Amino acid sequence: MTLLSIDGLTVSLPPGADRPNAVEDVSFSLNAGEILCIVGESGSGKSVSAAALTGLLPRGLGVTAGKIVFEGRDLRGASQADMRALRGARIGTVFQEPMTALNPLMRVHDQVAEVMQVHNRPVGRRVQELLEAVGLPDPARIARSYPHALSGGQRQRVMIAAALALEPAILIADEPTTALDVTTQKQILALIREIQSRRGTGVLFITHDFGVVAEIADRVAVMQRGRIVEQGAAADVLNQPQHPYTQALIAAIPHRPPQARPDAVGKPVLELVSVGKTYHSRGVFRAGRTVAAVQAASLQIRRGETLGLVGESGSGKSTLARCVVRLVVADEGAIRFGDTDLRPLSRADWKPYRKRIQMVFQDPFASLNPRRKVGDILIEGPLAHGTPAAEAKARAKDLLALVQLDPGAADRFPHEFSGGQRQRIGIARALAMQPELLIADEPVSALDVSVQAQILALLEDLRVRLGLTMLFITHDLRVAAQICDRVAVMRRGQIVEQGSTATVFANPAHEYTRALLDSVPGRGWTPPDQPTGATT
Amino acid sequence: MRSFARAFARNRGAVVGLAVLVLVALVAALAPVLFPFSPWDMQGAPFAPPGDEGFLLGSDSLGRDVAADIAYGASVSLLIGAVSTAAALLLGVVLGAVAGYASGLVDDIIMRVTEFFQTVPSFILAVVLVAIFTPSLSSIVAAIALVSWPPVTRVVRAEFLTLRTREFVQAAEVLGRSRTAIIFREILPNALSPIIVLASLMVASAILLESALSFLGLGDPNLMSWGFMIGAGRSVIRLAWWMSVFPGLAIFLTVLALNLVGEGLNDALNPRLARRR
Repeated sequence: MTLLSIDGLTVSLPPGADRPNAVEDVSFSLNAGEILCIVGESGSGKSVSAAALTGLLPRGLGVTAGKIVFEGRDLRGASQADMRALRGARIGTVFQEPMTALNPLMRVHDQVAEVMQVHNRPVGRRVQELLEAVGLPDPARIARSYPHALSGGQRQRVMIAAALALEPAILIADEPTTALDVTTQKQILALIREIQSRRGTGVLFITHDFGVVAEIADRVAVMQRGRIVEQGAAADVLNQPQHPYTQALIAAIPHRPPQARPDAVGKPVLELVSVGKTYHSRGVFRAGRTVAAVQAASLQIRRGETLGLVGESGSGKSTLARCVVRLVVADEGAIRFGDTDLRPLSRADWKPYRKRIQMVFQDPFASLNPRRKVGDILIEGPLAHGTPAAEAKARAKDLLALVQLDPGAADRFPHEFSGGQRQRIGIARALAMQPELLIADEPVSALDVSVQAQILALLEDLRVRLGLTMLFITHDLRVAAQICDRVAVMRRGQIVEQGSTATVFANPAHEYTRALLDSVPGRGWTPPDQPTGATT
Repeated sequence: MRSFARAFARNRGAVVGLAVLVLVALVAALAPVLFPFSPWDMQGAPFAPPGDEGFLLGSDSLGRDVAADIAYGASVSLLIGAVSTAAALLLGVVLGAVAGYASGLVDDIIMRVTEFFQTVPSFILAVVLVAIFTPSLSSIVAAIALVSWPPVTRVVRAEFLTLRTREFVQAAEVLGRSRTAIIFREILPNALSPIIVLASLMVASAILLESALSFLGLGDPNLMSWGFMIGAGRSVIRLAWWMSVFPGLAIFLTVLALNLVGEGLNDALNPRLARRR
């Protein structure tokens, strides 16, 4: 039974945007008991399509053509009051960010009950039943709690409970697992799948991750720049993509199985010996709290090797990396670089090592000073270490070529570049110092998958050409498998397992590593080899 | 730069404010040409109402030209407003930057001192300071600067606290740049917008403070100022209203203009508002 059919939907953007329409001539339908995934990169119009059908388009955007038929009624002609009666009751929505989707001042029970009260339905014991149905432990206690007491995954379950409270015909899930860790993501995906098959709800699932699609979708629609370029059954689209854009997207997913690489030999470039970092919050009138961010972490990186530091959010992987460059000062242990222990060094004594250890940051929008030109950003490091200005400028030109940017980029400001280009500038800035050790802190996690593939290829290429040693931090095991010789798995501040990537992925020794590997979305699906010469 | 001017011009009040300010500055600059005599000299009969005996705005109890006094007073007001704001900014920005960047004990010490200054009523403190150091242009400027830096420190510190955790600052740290370079080259340029807005409002309050001090007779005795004129005209306000009303109007318009300009700067420098066309 077709619950929803969208036909020729066009939503216009305000004048002055990069294209006239946010979505253009989009048609798809959703049946009861089916999960339709809309996949696309950022700016492809996938969220706008969903907002159009709930009547919650951002200001300045308007539906200019097409039909949205839901349960036999065209929603384009529906009044505000009609739409309000539908939202929550017939159309449930789950948002991306569980941390901000709940009102921090309302108890969980009241938030879920609110949906029923708004639609004048009796509440009774329904809230507890719902909380139980979404798999929350001890529903009575959770119902009394405030959102801050719940984890991200638990909050997302509460959101799902609220969305399902009135048994809607369709559920719109807009990137519901993007902000979650992989192990939590796996549970939430299983929950959505289970509820959907039990109740026969139609689910419109919006995501950017083909792994998630492989995990959950019955049918897939691929969007590019506001248009659906391909749609069909999940198995067909995933295994025999027809449109070049879909092919390129799928090819860009890191999917190379970890390869056995020759062990690097020789002296370690960097050696960490039981490094620890504990945070103390102190106060005059309150008891202090201590959080052990990193505990007794030991690892070695040899010349020319890439070590992946993997783990979920809060595992301490970023803190450990920041200890190595003294952005965070470690409390204990030794950080040996060559023959020197860097940990006890003062700021001034550290300076010579700044040239030799460099870092690439996660967020391409925050990591470049918005008030300085790219050329100035690239020479500031060498200038601080006494390189003559003319030489530094000449090197900046070479660096831009090295990271495949136009030499004219030097005279422009960071905001004139895309995320991927900015990340290239960030890499060039680190390389300007000609470092021996490069620390990359989630360098691709803020990027779209096609851009991510380009940056990973660039890093791989630079590593081979310049003989870089790299400490690569990531939460994405697919990325780690692609680029790392060895991996160290972190959990709650401790390294629980390390070894060559191929060994760890094939025979994980620690149960947490097994759980992580088991949670990689789309692990049962191997992207097809590209018959056409799609670029990675 | 041009887009900044356009964003500023969209706020019509700000343009009016800027025009008034330019007018006041012109009057101040041209005072010796318009009124080629000392503002303290007697020019005719005392208590002449506006328009009489060639006095545009009337004369005061000693036969001095009120219009000339206002013109000469304009330069004093603007000078004191600008110089004391510059001094307060220098102190406030440096302290706020150090507190926000260093954090920890240094931050604690600086903030406690700041709070100490904020708990003392600023006008009383200014009165005491001027009284102790005898009224003169420099002591007035110093007193005004000394009571108006704490808000600057707080604003700058807050900006630094958020900016120093940004990745571009961490990148500069990893590149091995010095602390001064990080504070003044990396962070400060990104914190300028709120400082500029605050500065325009501080000029206004400095002018008010100076007027209030002069009104109480704590102005520089060698300089004609708007506050002094109101103070002198206060006792005869029922006999000669123009002696207090016109300098009062001058203060009102100048301060209003500065506030309008501050609001316009706020709109133009706030990227979220500026982008809205």
